[in-house]
Amino acid sequence: MILHILTKAPGSSAALQMQQAVAGQDSVVLIEEAVTAALDPTWKAWQQCQSRIYLLSEDLLARGLATIAVDNQLPTLEMGGFISLTEKYEKSVTWY
Amino acid sequence: MMQYGLLVMGAPYSSPAPHSALRFAHAVLDRGHQVAGVFFYHDGVHNASSLMAPPQDELNLHDAWIELHQQHAIPLDVCIAAALRRGLMSESEAQRHGKQAFNIASPFELTGLGQLLELQQRSARFITFA
Amino acid sequence: MAATNALLVIIRHAPHSSNWLREGLDAALVAAAFGQPVHLLFMGKGILALLKEQGSGAPGQKATLPTIDMLEMYDIDKLWVTKEALQNMHLSTDSLVDGVTLIAEREVAGLLQQHTKILNF
Repeated sequence: MILHILTKAPGSSAALQMQQAVAGQDSVVLIEEAVTAALDPTWKAWQQCQSRIYLLSEDLLARGLATIAVDNQLPTLEMGGFISLTEKYEKSVTWY
Repeated sequence: MMQYGLLVMGAPYSSPAPHSALRFAHAVLDRGHQVAGVFFYHDGVHNASSLMAPPQDELNLHDAWIELHQQHAIPLDVCIAAALRRGLMSESEAQRHGKQAFNIASPFELTGLGQLLELQQRSARFITFA
Repeated sequence: MAATNALLVIIRHAPHSSNWLREGLDAALVAAAFGQPVHLLFMGKGILALLKEQGSGAPGQKATLPTIDMLEMYDIDKLWVTKEALQNMHLSTDSLVDGVTLIAEREVAGLLQQHTKILNF
């Protein structure tokens, strides 16, 4: 089981490569530019990783995307939640 | 309580990676874990430059790393090969290469990639910011 | 394949575009020199590092091929490339160096699961 950390926007090669690498039990945290995924509820990874993919709240707020994430009913987590996921998953891979 | 190792490969003020890594480090420590070390590789070596002088209303990332070190005694290791080719060096490396200036000083330590692998081996959790 | 202690180094960047490729391969070579088994997975533009006819770049830009040729000496003999990535780049294995192992894209997730240590470049 792997925690994937994506730092680039949907459609980037980093995002596509991550989507290739995600397995059934894995989780995904979207940080930095990847939080622009809040704008696109049709992004395939939302379905692919259902209930195990999250936008980092702090990075959403910084970019003015927090309300949009709520409107699009996309899951978010705060820094503490990110740490909890790293506790749960022994391995992590960052896609950038 | 777990040991976290961090790998930072983004340059300050070019990439958000150093900010993310610092924020993560503080959150991990607040949770009661330890940070076994931070390794700077690729463009991340620029974090170690003592000559960075951002405007006063921006965080000085070099100083922020030193503060993290001072508060928690976290080793700050910098890949020597990645640093030298980008013009980052300690006083002794500057002498060796005949350069008139240096920009890396303690607590940042120039070291080999072996340290990165060793950090990965001994950390229960290893997180990359790039 | 069962779980392995080998370090998986993922190479995703092309030669002569950034220093990601060189510094990724350096990490792989150092790990191997320290006696750690190393496997390489080439994704996306990373497969361009395996083209057998590549030369050096703009003046003074070091070539990658000599480093690729060195992998075998360091006992790095697993060079995984996905068929899909090759197809996407309109390449065939004839253009690549010897010793490449083709896998299907759907096997990538499993590879990552099997390795306890991963470095992604």
